[in-house]
Amino acid sequence: MTIVTGKAEARRRLQSGWSGVLWKMWEHRADYAYVLPAIAVMLIVIAYPIYYTIELSFFKTPPGLQLRDKIYVGFDNYTNILTSPVFWKVTWNTMIWTLASTFISFVLGFGSALALHRDFIGRGVLRAILIIPWVISAVAASYIWKWIYHSDFGVIGAVLVGLGWADRPPNFIDNVSTVLPSLIVVNIWREFPFAMIMMMAGLQTVPEQLLSAAKVDGASAWQRFWHVTFPHLSSVSTVTILLLAVANFNSFIIPWIMTGGGPSNASHIWITHIYELAFGRQLWGVASAYSVLLFLILMTLGYFYVRALSGNERKEGRA
Amino acid sequence: MTRITLGGAVLRGTVSTALVVSLSASALGAPPVDLSKWSPEYVRSIAGTQDFDTAADCGKVTPLDYKGRLTFWYQGVFEGDPDLLRQYYKEFFETFRKTYPNIQLEEQALTYNDLLDKFRTALLGNAAPMAVRLQILGGTEFAAKGYLQPLKPEDVGYSTEDFWPGAMKAVTWDGVTYGIPTNNETMAFIWNADIFKRAGLDPDKAPATWDDVVKYSKQIHDKLGISGYGLVARKNAGNTPYRFMPQLWAYGGGVFDEATANPTYKEVELNSPQSKAALQASYNMYVRDKSVPVSALTNQQADNQPLFLAGQLGMMVSHPSDYNVMLDLQKKATGTDKDKAQTVIDNMRYGLIPTGPDGKRAVVFGGSNIHILKPEYVEGGKVDEPAAKAIICMWTSPEWSLKMAYAGSNPGNLNGFKTKWMKERLDSIKFLDVTTSMLPYGIPFPALPQSPEIMNIIVPDMLQNALTGAMTVDQAADDAAEKVKSLVEGKL
Repeated sequence: MTIVTGKAEARRRLQSGWSGVLWKMWEHRADYAYVLPAIAVMLIVIAYPIYYTIELSFFKTPPGLQLRDKIYVGFDNYTNILTSPVFWKVTWNTMIWTLASTFISFVLGFGSALALHRDFIGRGVLRAILIIPWVISAVAASYIWKWIYHSDFGVIGAVLVGLGWADRPPNFIDNVSTVLPSLIVVNIWREFPFAMIMMMAGLQTVPEQLLSAAKVDGASAWQRFWHVTFPHLSSVSTVTILLLAVANFNSFIIPWIMTGGGPSNASHIWITHIYELAFGRQLWGVASAYSVLLFLILMTLGYFYVRALSGNERKEGRA
Repeated sequence: MTRITLGGAVLRGTVSTALVVSLSASALGAPPVDLSKWSPEYVRSIAGTQDFDTAADCGKVTPLDYKGRLTFWYQGVFEGDPDLLRQYYKEFFETFRKTYPNIQLEEQALTYNDLLDKFRTALLGNAAPMAVRLQILGGTEFAAKGYLQPLKPEDVGYSTEDFWPGAMKAVTWDGVTYGIPTNNETMAFIWNADIFKRAGLDPDKAPATWDDVVKYSKQIHDKLGISGYGLVARKNAGNTPYRFMPQLWAYGGGVFDEATANPTYKEVELNSPQSKAALQASYNMYVRDKSVPVSALTNQQADNQPLFLAGQLGMMVSHPSDYNVMLDLQKKATGTDKDKAQTVIDNMRYGLIPTGPDGKRAVVFGGSNIHILKPEYVEGGKVDEPAAKAIICMWTSPEWSLKMAYAGSNPGNLNGFKTKWMKERLDSIKFLDVTTSMLPYGIPFPALPQSPEIMNIIVPDMLQNALTGAMTVDQAADDAAEKVKSLVEGKL
């Protein structure tokens, strides 16, 4: 027979329903106190700017007026953006930039990781060399590549002309057709080491005994990769791809320094375009509307990123 | 070695007449120099005729023992400037600290292309400096927005008549003066006589018209396989409007009517037949003849300088300081490159900027102005006015407005032309009198808050749209005109 005291009954009632949530929160009051400073900082540096950007996106900010004198225009900024041919051009550029940079960086990084996973003489040196593009300053790298690509006296042009393979230096960044692919090459060069490091870390987690067992069972190298290694890397691959995609969506330094979004907007991606709208043209309202749209896209990517991470945790928990 | 193709009575007459037309927009009181007599010879005759005691003059504005604190941003030297200018900037701040030992100065140098963006951002956060020296293009925007305090030359011990009337326009908004010009500049046309000779052109004669520039550029490219004219069309770079606008105005075009004596800025003229003819000239050089650097769409004048020094570029528009820049670059060269560079320097010639088909000659009346911010936009909410006036008095003094423009520009304070340093400068800075002769043809950018966007974004966009083939010349000009119209009408 269970004897229910008045105190225990009160506690049971509190633990059920809405009041139960409050009770649980009360029980974890110390945990909340620990994270409170971080939440407060986040509210100030993240929540308020997001709110202000959303508010600003409904206003017009002519160059002759201060920001505080902004004019309410409702959804006009969003309408103007979505009906502007520049928006679609910049969006198309951003898609190409993000997808190509992410996919090729990942494939190259994965390939490099697999190559460097084997033990061979000079592996450490090679690994250090391959990481260099990722660790050097993006600004410095952009200036170096600008000179490498220079349409009149760039390094590539000089080599090609010197070898007699071209009459004049190729036009990489002063041409609307070649500028974006040229910048994507620089971006891939800079970020594939990140994918390589992530995948190398992932490869460390593949159980050696499984690979050995598969080998004993007669599985070929490809079969071992496809049926043992790759499934183990699916979670880290998803996270790497999502992180690359978010970073590429947010890219600014390489296109801005190398071309400023030109020529003729051919290398403008969302972030550079937003920067030019805000700081070059002072169209803070339009730039804010662009930012809100970009925020929604990145939030969607962020959702999948968190889901991927949670999936990893669940898998690890099951294991 | 100076074989400049100017001089002669005809030129002097033209210069004087043009000066009166273009610079007498406001009534001249009693200017320290007689602008109606302006000529290289006149400038020489007044140089070194008057002494100035800067510390004593500024001591009357702000006592030399004044104790205070000043935050100050300025458009400083950049990669395309000569070392000489760096030395003078360093010397200025050292002298200021010696003259006003009790003023705690926190200065920050920013390059031309970065300054506006950073200053705007700082203003939005009420974190601007107490005083700022901005490019001539920026003053009107910030005055119109109400960020600047009224400030006129009289506030720091000078007279409005001590400054170029055209320059005072750029610091005036709605009838109120909001700043003081520090320096004013006009560029000149530079060519390599050796390249001209090898291309079958007269080595001592600059192209007379912009159509000649197109022709010469093609001839140089076709005969020697190098670039003829140093076209610059990068976006968000001050170099682009400074080189394209003289061409646009010479053909009789303009963004508005800014090239007229009394501009109203009412009608957009960027798509007029004259403006289109100017754009067509650039198109002909870049697309049709391929006679200019391919990198013109992403480069700046700083990229043209090494090309010129390497003997790979025949002509360009730039400052007199480019001669000193070439000397600096030549010193850094080694081996045979050093000798090649010396040959280019020996063959460097300066002349007046070419005219349009109707004989119209024009150049951007450039420079910088210095301003004081209102306290509410300044970090800490306070402006130390006496300290701000002390540095402004010094920078705009005859002595320092000349020294800080020693190699590349002209003093904002006309009294600078009378100093002993001007005399010394005339003897040491080659080709200075050519750019000084261009001053009367100077046209200020439209004094509108929208000017930075027009000059730094819309005009370069127009060039890029035409030169990349993204649009035809007509479409690019129409598109740019429409953008200017929308901007001015506040549709965006």
